[in-house]
Parts: sequence; C-alpha cells; structure tokens
Amino acid sequence: MSGSLFAVARALAFVLLALVLCGAIFELAGYSSLSMFQNIAEGAFASPEALLNSLGWALPLFVIAAGVVVSFRCGYFNVGAQGQFYIGAIGSAFAVEWLNGAPAFIVIPAAILAGMAAGLLWAAWPGLLRIRSGTDEVITTLMANFIAGLVLIYVTSGPLKDPSGTGQVTASRPIAALYRISDSGGVSPAIIGLVVVSGVLIWVLVNRTAFGVLSSLAGRNPVMVGWQGGRLARLGLAGFLVSGAFAGLAGAIELLGPQGRLVSGFLPAEGFTAILIALVAGLSVTGVAVVSLFFGGLAAASLYLPVIAGLPAAAIDIINAAIALFITARAWPRGLGLRRVRRAP
Amino acid sequence: MQRAEAAEYALECQGVTVSFGAVMALREVSVGFPPGRIHAVVGQNGAGKTTFARVAAGLVRPAAGTLRIAGREVTTGAVNAARGAGVELVHQSFALPPSFTVAEAMEFGSTRHGRAPFTRAGLEARWRGHLDSLGVTARLRERVRDLPVESQQAVEIARALVTDARVLILDEPTAVLAPAGIATLFRRLAGLRASGVTVILILHKIREVLEIADTVTVLRGGRLIEGTVAARDIDAQHLAAAIIGSAPPEAATLSEDDRAALVGAGAGHAAGATIAAPAVLALADVSTRPDPEGPALDNVSLAVRAGEIVGVAGVEGNGQRTLVRACAGLADVQQGTITLAGRAATQAAPLARRAAGLRIIPFERNSEGLSLSSTLWENWAVRPLLLAGRLLALIDPARLRAQCDASLRHWDVRFTTTEQTAGSLSGGNAQKVILAREIDASAKVVIAAQPTRGLDVGATAFVWRALREARGRGCGVLLISSDLDELFDISDRIVVMLSGRIAGEFAPPYSLDAIGRAMTGVAR
Amino acid sequence: MNDLIALILGSGTPLVYAAMAGVLAQRAGIWHLGLEGLMIAGACAAVLVTSAAGSLLAGLGVAIAVCVLGSALLWVVIEKLKANPIIAGLGLTGLGLGGTDLAVQAVFDSEATVRSEIGLPRLGAAFGPYAHLSVLVLAMPVVVFALWVLLRRTRFGLQLAACGEHPFAARSVGVSPPRMRLVALLLGGVLCALAGAELALGSLQLFSVGMTAGRGFMAFAAVIFGAGHPVGAAFAALFFSVVEALGIKAQLLLGNALPPDLLLALPYAATVAGVWLSGRLRGGGQSSGAFAELRDY
Repeated sequence: MSGSLFAVARALAFVLLALVLCGAIFELAGYSSLSMFQNIAEGAFASPEALLNSLGWALPLFVIAAGVVVSFRCGYFNVGAQGQFYIGAIGSAFAVEWLNGAPAFIVIPAAILAGMAAGLLWAAWPGLLRIRSGTDEVITTLMANFIAGLVLIYVTSGPLKDPSGTGQVTASRPIAALYRISDSGGVSPAIIGLVVVSGVLIWVLVNRTAFGVLSSLAGRNPVMVGWQGGRLARLGLAGFLVSGAFAGLAGAIELLGPQGRLVSGFLPAEGFTAILIALVAGLSVTGVAVVSLFFGGLAAASLYLPVIAGLPAAAIDIINAAIALFITARAWPRGLGLRRVRRAP
Repeated sequence: MQRAEAAEYALECQGVTVSFGAVMALREVSVGFPPGRIHAVVGQNGAGKTTFARVAAGLVRPAAGTLRIAGREVTTGAVNAARGAGVELVHQSFALPPSFTVAEAMEFGSTRHGRAPFTRAGLEARWRGHLDSLGVTARLRERVRDLPVESQQAVEIARALVTDARVLILDEPTAVLAPAGIATLFRRLAGLRASGVTVILILHKIREVLEIADTVTVLRGGRLIEGTVAARDIDAQHLAAAIIGSAPPEAATLSEDDRAALVGAGAGHAAGATIAAPAVLALADVSTRPDPEGPALDNVSLAVRAGEIVGVAGVEGNGQRTLVRACAGLADVQQGTITLAGRAATQAAPLARRAAGLRIIPFERNSEGLSLSSTLWENWAVRPLLLAGRLLALIDPARLRAQCDASLRHWDVRFTTTEQTAGSLSGGNAQKVILAREIDASAKVVIAAQPTRGLDVGATAFVWRALREARGRGCGVLLISSDLDELFDISDRIVVMLSGRIAGEFAPPYSLDAIGRAMTGVAR
Repeated sequence: MNDLIALILGSGTPLVYAAMAGVLAQRAGIWHLGLEGLMIAGACAAVLVTSAAGSLLAGLGVAIAVCVLGSALLWVVIEKLKANPIIAGLGLTGLGLGGTDLAVQAVFDSEATVRSEIGLPRLGAAFGPYAHLSVLVLAMPVVVFALWVLLRRTRFGLQLAACGEHPFAARSVGVSPPRMRLVALLLGGVLCALAGAELALGSLQLFSVGMTAGRGFMAFAAVIFGAGHPVGAAFAALFFSVVEALGIKAQLLLGNALPPDLLLALPYAATVAGVWLSGRLRGGGQSSGAFAELRDY
C-alpha cells in the first residue's frame, strides 16, 4: 500500500512542478501567475455554482477517461478520444434528426446507442489497422481526430446546418427540448445515472473479469500472453472498441445535455483532457473518478477566465499540456547535472 | 607516473565492491592479472563474473575500489577511460546493432581518425585489412543480424580489437558455440596471446578452463575465492569445490553426475532405459515457413514419449526456437503433422494445445515467460483464465490470489505477497513461478527451453528435479539446452538440430565427440 | 503544372524540415511527437519577433532559441525524469499550441492572426513561376542530403543509430545514449524552427493560432513512412503535400461539387494510408508505444 501512496505523492509532485512551469510561462507572457491561478480556482471551485458547473464538466470527461483506461491498459495508445467523442455526438445528432417527432423514451435511448455505436466504429478502424497491419495507432488516431473535426464542420455546414445560424461558427439545428437530458449546466439525474452506470460497468470490466486481468497482462507484455495462447488481436481490438463506445457515449451526453446542438469545433480539448485524466489516475477507474473532478474544474474555468476575469482561456490548455509533459515521469529529478564523477588522482 | 612496461599486472583491481540495490554483486574483490597470458575467471551464475567484467570495461561503476590498467589507475565506471587504457570487452549476448553491416560495426566503435564522411567502399577498404589479419571471413557488407553465431562472435572480437586493445575480456564466449567452434575460438585466443594481448575469459566449464587457461580465478557469491592460481597447479575436483562451495539445500539431492554436470567437469549420463510408452508429442516431417525468430524447420520428425526426457542439442539459432514455436502453434507449419497426446494438433490453435496438456517453459524468462511489471497472481492466473475461455466471465481476485499463494508455496517460491510484481523476484524464483504455472496436474507434455540459463546452482538443481519429477509422473519432457553437460546429465535421448533439421539422434552413453560433430554438420 | 509544383513545394517544405527533425530523434531512439508544438512555437516566435523588431535575423534567432529550449525541456523530461516519450511529446505539442495562443493574445489582445511585413527572402524573378517561394525551399534538398550524409556516412551517424537500435552497444563503446539523444533533439529543434519560419514567413507572412493544423504529426508520420531514412521521410512528406495540393486544386476546379471540408481531410487520410502501407511493407508490428510502465506507480 505504501507503494501506491508513494505513487500518489509523486503524481501530485509532478502536477505541482507542471503548475510552476505554467506560472513561469504566464509571467513571461506578461500575466500575473498569482491572479491567473486565483481566477482559475475561483472559476472552478470557489462557489457552489462553480462546483456544480465543474461537476457538469467532469461527468462526460469521466466517461471518456474511463474508456481510455480500458484501451491504455490493453497497451494501445488510442489517443483518438476527441474524434470518437465528435463522431459519437454526430451519430447521436443524426439519430435525433431521423427520429424527430417520435416519443422521447424512444428517441433518447436510440440517440445514446447511436452515439456509442458511432464512437465505436470510429475507434474500430484504427484498431483494425493496428492489429491487422501493425499500423501505428498513435498516428492513425491523431489523424482520425483531425478528420472527425472536419466531418463535424461538414455536418454542421451541410446536412444538419441550422439555416438561421449566422456568424463564423457553424452549428446544427437545436434539439427539441423534449429530447434534452439536461439544461446547459450539464448536471441532471439522467446524466448522473448514465455516468454512474458507465463507471460501474467499466470498473467491473477492469477489476472483476477475465478480460480485465488478461488485457492488462497483454498490455504490459503481449509476448508472454501470446506464448500462453491468448488471442492478442481480440483483446486489443476490444480495448479500442470499448474506449470508442464510451467516448461516443460522452458525445451523445454532451449533445442531448448541455450543448443541445452540434457546434463545429466544440470542446476541442475534451479528448486530450480525458487522456490526461486517465494517466494522472494511473489507469485506475476509481482514480479517474477523483481526477475528473479536478480537470472538470479546470475546464469550467476555461469559460470563466475570458468572460469574468478577462484572461485568455489558453491558460487552461497550457496547464493541461504541462501536466501531460510531466505526468508519466518515473524518476525524481535527481542527478540533474549534479552527477558525481570519481576521477583518478 | 609508472611506465606501462614496468607494470606487474595488465589489469588489477583493489577492493572492488558493487551493489545493485540490496544485492551485493561483488564484495571487496582484489585481484591482478599478469600480462600476456590467458586468464580464466570462473564461478556459478550469479557469482559476479559478468559484473566483474563490466567493472573492468568501465560499464559499471563500483561503489568502492580502484582499477589499474597496465599499472595506471583509471577512472572507474567510464568506458572511454578503460578503452583508452586498452581494455575491451566482448559481451555474452553480443552487443552490435543488428542492422549494421560488418564494416559499420567496426567503424562505429573505432577511435581511429578516418575520413569523414566516408563512402561504403572507403569504409570497407579501411576495415578489410583488420578483419583479414584476424582471420575473420565475414563479408564486410553483410549485416550483423544475418551472420551465423560463430561469425557474429568473430566480428565482435574484431570489433573489440579495432582499438589497440592490450586486455581483451570475453564474457562466456563458449556458451553459444559448438565444440568445433570452441576449438577455433581457443586457437584465435592463443594467437592473440602470442601477440602479447592479455586475455581474460569468463567461463563456467571446468573442462574448458583446464584446456585453455594459464591461470584460474574463482568467484563465489561476489567474493574472490581463488585469485590467478596457475592452472597446472589445480585439479578439476578442487576447482569444482571452489566453484560450488558448501552446496545449498536444493543441491542436496544432486548425484555425483549432477555435480559434475553443474561445473562442466564430466560427461555424466542417465542410465539409458528404453521407454516403450506411447508418444505424447510427435512431429512427423514438419516443415515451416521461415519464422521471423529463426530458421525454418525442414522435415523435422521427433517423438517424445510419456515418461522420458528428450534433449535437443545444437548451436543456438539452428531452429530450436522455431521448433518450440511450431509445437506451441506460433509458427506457420507448411507440411507434416503434429500430434499432441494422441490427437492431431497440426492446425490446432495455441490455446487448444494448452488445453490438450502442452506446457512450455519458454526461452526468455523475462519476456516470454513472465510479465515482469504485473503481479505474481496475474502471471500465475493467465493460463487458467485463458483456458476458461470466456473473457467477460466474472472472476474473484481474492480466490485467484489464494490459489496462487498455495501453488507458489508448494513450489517453494520465496515471495512476500502475491501482489508483488514478478520483476521483484530473483531469476531462480521467477523461474519457479513459471514452473508452478506450467507443471500442473493436467500437464502431459512439458517443453523446457533453456530452463536453467542464468540460474545459480541451487535453482538449477531445483529445475532439474522438477523436470525429473514431471517425467516420473508420466509427462513427456522436451528439453532444449545449449549446455551439453546439462543435456547429457538428464536426457534419456538427445537429438541434435542443425539448420532447421534433425542432424542426428543419440542414446546414452553419449559421446561428446559424436554429438559435437553432428552440431557442426561434420558427421553427415 | 508549374503552379501545382510550386504549391507542393511551398506547403511541403515545412513538413520536410520537421520530418528531418523527426528522423534525427527517431534514429536516436525517441519517437518525437513534440514536432507539432515546436513547429508552431517556431512559427509564432519568428512572426512576432520579426514584426516587432523589424529584423528577420532576430526573428529566426529567437525562433531557433525557443525551439532548442523546448527540445531541451523534452529531453530532460524523457531522459532525466524517465517520462513516456509519446505522452511527453504530446504534452510539448500542447504547450506549443497553448503557449502561442497565449502569446498572441498577450501581445495583440484578442487577435488570432498576426501579420509580418518582412518575410523570408524569395527566390526572385530568375526562378519564373517559383519566384515567390522562399530560399528555404531551395535549401531543403541540401539539408536533406546533408542529413543523409551525417546519418549514414559518418561515425557520428552510426553512433546515433546505435543509440536508437541497441543502446547497450553504444554504451559499450563509450557513447552515451542520453547525450547523443540531446544532440539529436537540439539539432531537431533548429530544424523545427526553420519549419515554423517557413510555414509562417514563407509565402503567407502571417501567424494564426493553430496554423500548423497537424503538420507536425504528419511529419512524424513521414518519418515512419520513410522508415527513418532522411530521403525516404522527405519524399513521404512531399507525398502528403502532393495530396494536399491536389485537394486544393480539386476544390478550385470543382467548386462546391465536393464538400470542401472533406477535401481538406485528404492529407490526413493520405497520412493514415502512408503509415498503413509502411506497416504492410515491413511486416508491421513496430509501434511507437509500448508503455507498460505507465501504470507502474
């Protein structure tokens, strides 16, 4: 147990180190880092409303991150959560469009399933390329993110375009209030229910099934599992599909919940943040639940900063990036240029 | 400053102590090697021989102690200092980038001034003379990974001599060679000695020590037991005692033959009982496609009967890996049939073969056998979980951990909790975890590939006993080893592999000469 | 035809420079996913400083300094703190994208685009239809060739390759893999700065937030496609920009018959196809990420 305590301490220490680096960058850019952090904290956690808002951001992040945990535990760098999230939202939007007029108890489940299926399919092709041809999944999933972003622009400016929309950012027609599962705050019993069920499912999958043990072994040492006769392709593809489906689910939740419509380029950092959450949590599902709240707060602050405090929202991206830079570090920064060299007399 | 010519020792260390974490690899070792001779450093696995070689070559920085080369103290833990003073090391598992050509392999470690940038032809011209002078026949354009193991070693030695090395250390150079290759190597080393090079050979076979070395140094448990004793003043029995010391409890079951085999001092052999039991593993005319990990099998026929141990001898890289992979279902069998426990298994999936009772102790303990960063219970549970077949089946980790705990205790694994990682175990204990997983009640065929490599005497004895017990329970055992003493000691039959074929089959009493010739293809 | 080639060279040159940085890192044993971040940092620094100081040299100097510093940071994180190179590289990319966004907002309040009066020197009228291309386009083949010589025809190149392929072999001849990786990353930083400068000051003379749009990742893909060989990677990078140019051409020719946003996705799809093809050709299996250690808390 002291091992995991040490791990938590190390993760916290590196997050702190990342914040120090961010502070230096803020100061260099001419902002007061103190007021920056203060405003971020205010935007994220300082009031009950802020906390509720942060929770609203944390819920979909948790769903994506929990899915990412499955894929990463299988040993695959599926960094395509952003694209799977977008495609999930798009799939969900099409389902709502086609079923428009049907009762909500049909449309909402259908839209959620459509979102999951779409996200799953968008994860399936990099997964298949990886296990069939050994195509590097980091590149394919990154490219899939860019392509999904363009598909989103295409859909919002073409098939699902809101004709009344003006301005640079294209968007789809708003979803009827009947089919929404939350207001723009993003916290409602329906969403919380969905998130809790997803969390429990993934926790069981990871910690209480043969798949959980075998995929983790295969992720750490595929060679050994291959010698034991395990079907690595099946394990790995399953990891891709599960993470894609849950990213798609988060897309559906965003669409039917807080967003209420497709907007081109919405939440551009969602996937990357979710990957960070998974890493900071050490690929543990319970850890993800806690860490999501922190990053949900940061995400909430990214809206608060420019509107209330007049500070650039990019500050949040920088904080996330700096944490990503350090979070996988496995050594203390000892011996940095201080290595003793024993010389002959 | 002393002058090099006046130095009493070519290489000398004083009070060298090295620890890796809690393990003391060397304790206050002080020894000096006189110049112009061939010195043997012997000891069991884990005695600190390789660490010693690496300290001398500057790859490992000792916690304490000094190193003198030709009488001058050099900075420890600095390869360039050691190389600058003329010490070069040839590693046991060779250390040349596999994609390099022979010429590139010479160039990358050279400190000689040369024209940069070079052309391919220029590079080859630069090194042709060097290779010729050493009698190395490998072509300069050939890639290191394509070379047979003997040439690879010759190229390694040539690489080590690109600087004007005065002290050449070779770490277990004979482990990968056939008897004929060993003879060639020893001739080459004698030639170097004649030209004034000091050769330090890390060995663990007494027979070879007595054949080539001028002096013998014995390490045991990181301590110096004997320092540069003249080889003619020491006999095999005395040397064996020095190497093994007071035997660990696991070794108590060892017979005289076993003891001799452990130190490479005898040609002990099992009593050759003819076994008429049915074959549990049979390969008939099996040929494979070239496997990414080794040469293809070419018409291999082989049967392992219940209750016998069949040894597979051969220079590494002659298809032993492909043989095991073909049995495991990991290689692409083009023709022929594989029968497992009486049923056709040629096309069976790897997992189906496991279900039929096939168990494998793979070549590489740390990559193929265990997932070092996973917990012990996960490593142990992998086959039961795979055989259960349903990925989404719910499991009870607490029960698995308890079962694992009982099994590991039964196999005498020294561990604290099943939650610790496999990487935290010593080599011998890690191998016992694999034994605990593989040799279970439903095992019918056990393939053991290099099961004792890198293990100390106690762990080796344990593995031998486990294999003999498996045989006693009616398992068929296929033992692949590059240690002929081991094969001679515990095999009921020996087959020799050469270039993916079976080059001969031998029954006890084994003849080192005949098997050695089969390994190099002279017998055919 | 000439204008198509000019288009390809113009958009391909930054990609090639970044790919060369990727090749250096790759041969030293680091999968460099920070190219995107370094490239945009270089572009931003080049434009901001050039327009503020009125000196191209100052702009280039600062761009190089910034990218070299960023590379050094990546090296410290990977080699000294033993972080996972893939995630750390992505972090550096995020830092570059966010940092340039912040810098533009800090200097120009809320503008997302900064123009520069001064650009890189042009080839000039003597080059006919290629007159508007920058001198860095002309220098590109020279740089690729020089890198090929350095990597394949010098002892340094062999030692660097040994660090990537068999670090222990490098150590046993007294070559320190971490130190060689530092050299490779720093050199790569310079190349990334040039890539960014060419992107922003080449033909456009402007910097806009997020303008790299995944080009750094494409450069990384070109390294894989080109099997870590400088010439191969350069051709792979040019191939991606051929596809991009064809997409732009198609858009001009067909008008809105095809959705323009989907044509924009062509280079990304080509990148996937290229990496897939290289996996097929070489029997696959090679991946940038084996990361058991991620969970080893």
